[in-house]
Amino acid sequence: MEAKYDFEKKFRKQILQCSRCGFCQAVCPVYGATLRPGLNARGKMLLLKEVMDGNLPLDDQLTESLFQCTTCASCFENCPSGVQVPDIIKQARKDMVNVGSCHPAFEGMHKVLQKHTNIYAEDEPEDFERERNQKAAYVYFIGCVGSYREDEATLETLELLDKLRVEFTLIDEVCCSGVLEDVGYEIIPNLARKNMDLIFDTGASTVITGCPYCFRTFNNKPQYSEMKEKGVKVVHITQFLQDFDFSVRTDKRVTYHDPCDLGRHCGIYEEPRNTIRKIASDFVEMPDNRENALCCGAGGGVRGAFAKNSIAMARRRLEQAEEVGAEIVLTECNSCVHNLGNAKLRKQKFKIYNTTQFINQLMEEEND
Amino acid sequence: MEEKLVKAIVDIVGEDHFTRNIIDLVSYACDASEHCNRPVCAVFTETTEQVADLMKLANREDIPVTPRGAGTGLSGMAVPIRGGIILDLSRMNKILKISIEDRLAVVQPGVIYADLEKALTPEGFFFPPDPASGKVSTLGGNVATNAGGLKGAKYGTTRDYVLGLQVVLPDGRIMRTGSKAMKSVSGYDLTRLFVGSEGTLGVVTEITFKINPKPTKTSTALATFDNLEDVGKAINQIMHSGIIPSALEILGRETLAAINQNTDLNLPEVDAMLLVETDGYTQEETAYQIEKVIRIFEANHPQEVKQAKTEAEVKDLWAARKSAYAVLSRIENSSVLEDVTVPMTHITELLKGIQDISRKHDIQIATFGHAGDGNLHPQILYDGYDPIQVEKKENAIKDLFELAIGLDGTLTGEHGIGLSKAPFMTLEHDPVAMNVMRTLKRTFDPNNILNPGKMALEG
Repeated sequence: MEAKYDFEKKFRKQILQCSRCGFCQAVCPVYGATLRPGLNARGKMLLLKEVMDGNLPLDDQLTESLFQCTTCASCFENCPSGVQVPDIIKQARKDMVNVGSCHPAFEGMHKVLQKHTNIYAEDEPEDFERERNQKAAYVYFIGCVGSYREDEATLETLELLDKLRVEFTLIDEVCCSGVLEDVGYEIIPNLARKNMDLIFDTGASTVITGCPYCFRTFNNKPQYSEMKEKGVKVVHITQFLQDFDFSVRTDKRVTYHDPCDLGRHCGIYEEPRNTIRKIASDFVEMPDNRENALCCGAGGGVRGAFAKNSIAMARRRLEQAEEVGAEIVLTECNSCVHNLGNAKLRKQKFKIYNTTQFINQLMEEEND
Repeated sequence: MEEKLVKAIVDIVGEDHFTRNIIDLVSYACDASEHCNRPVCAVFTETTEQVADLMKLANREDIPVTPRGAGTGLSGMAVPIRGGIILDLSRMNKILKISIEDRLAVVQPGVIYADLEKALTPEGFFFPPDPASGKVSTLGGNVATNAGGLKGAKYGTTRDYVLGLQVVLPDGRIMRTGSKAMKSVSGYDLTRLFVGSEGTLGVVTEITFKINPKPTKTSTALATFDNLEDVGKAINQIMHSGIIPSALEILGRETLAAINQNTDLNLPEVDAMLLVETDGYTQEETAYQIEKVIRIFEANHPQEVKQAKTEAEVKDLWAARKSAYAVLSRIENSSVLEDVTVPMTHITELLKGIQDISRKHDIQIATFGHAGDGNLHPQILYDGYDPIQVEKKENAIKDLFELAIGLDGTLTGEHGIGLSKAPFMTLEHDPVAMNVMRTLKRTFDPNNILNPGKMALEG
């Protein structure tokens, strides 16, 4: 039987390799929040197998499962059979979009990015009161969430870079549009072109990203391969910061939340911890950390499309921060900061920051 | 399903706890076996009373009900083969009581094995069966299947730890069995009747487990052999030695090769590797035991004998053992994991017989398992889309069961009968025993609504 969809052409063997052991159920954040086995990786693989076997049409009925995945890759990390679930889901979403079945939130995001320069359709770019597009050694690339939703955190990150005397510039950045690849669409070439042209014009040899997702997109997607060809290096700010000393310290109990895009997807676990150990004498790990970290629930478009469950996932993560008695929860992703912040209950007294933002605050206090 | 029935079910469990969504039905169609069949609907109950009301309704209206935990079973016992209602118990997931002084824990059926483990660890206690799926399987499922695991040789299986149950019968009546006391010979042992009954007699809604103090020290060693006779002798001599290893595992050649393909462990690819763990409360105690086992290994012509020296080595070896099923699953698009069990003196014959069956039917069979209690896991690897291979697989299974029964063994040591082994029940059980089992089923469930179609109870 001829494969009908691309997901089948590319991943048939992988999907059949799922032995249905259900181990993904123990780690899937969507299952953890909903307790519906139809939403975990095994459930999704079963749906796709039914589609391949001709027992189920690929249509709107499947949206709630196939589009409800944060692509956190916990399932892949823990899958004894090595099934590359996030890649399969992303391909299946593209097939669904091709047959006209897509979650309205994702369809909306795609439409917005065809007209606007960021996922929030904000027409007034946030300039952080700085000259942009200057000649500099480094470009700091903020990302949509840092620009329009966590601008306070970004402002403090920029102040920290000033304090560390980093010669950097901002650019008139537009959305890297990498997220579209996760939700059934593709990177928009014009947006990629604009970002790269602006970066090249600055003469910078290194781009520092505030967003782990932009970091992955720049480094891994062919639409941005010109950057590598031209010798422009892309690092996440957590990698950049590990070489600095800050000469400030906090006695507060600090924990660290691994963003999926930085941790499981890029294997960056130690750099942020090295930095945090320099500034925090009481650093504690949450029970699930590094490759076993619980997802904050924001990724893969889930925050926009399934807000209630997304918040429930963030709450599960924050319960772990509470369990270890953290006063400060640090992370390295504006999207995680945003979702965890939205989920925090009033009784939870800890604060949630990007590491950069917190270091800047410590330095400010020191100066007061 | 008629809308008035749907309304009646929703009245019991609430709208949020009822689903006919295709996404849910597809996932509830399957467990970890090769069987699949979609239910008509599924419910998530939160109280014993809801379960009781649901059973009353189902019994009155003649609707099949299939209880389900995490769906990790390997024999199809949670597959709703007659459709009807899936009763998902995973939301009844509270640990109701832990009493270290009484050495017991009281839990709802949806509590995950690993969550009880996590709650007991700070107290220095554990619930020993240690099923390989413990991170995800529910305790209700462990009870329904009488789950075993790696520690069976020393610590037994789930059955050895269940003190009492609360059960909803197929007609909706609620019953308690057993006692919270450590010992009880009061009346028939109804508790044991329900443990391993695969959800065919009642729905377990509360479990009282006996718990054990957890040994703090372990020693691990391995030995490799190129002659299965020597393996058998080594196992027999360990049994004779008075040492009870906390785990004594065996990995066959195909399994070792598959592990090597997927890891950097570079295990020797020999006919069999034995992996042994001893446990206790002092290092001297575990070392004394492991040395005795090592001497037995050495007396039986091993290729190599090695004691794990570092934590990392120990961790790698057990991770390799636990990965066996999964790395073998990667080889073909389908596989069946069997769990035939024989008295320990017959292990060599079983291992050799499995090799003969593999050759006879020209089908891949890799073997690993629990040598310490005679429970082997031959895993048959085949192309599920190739009718010829499917037929070979079925013929191989038939031969395998005949072999195990011929060696005074059993069809299943820990996975259960479910759908997979139902056609072979009469191979193991005589007509009188089958008649008694079927009579019991009819006594509890005269309308045959609770998990029908399983365990050959309808003959």
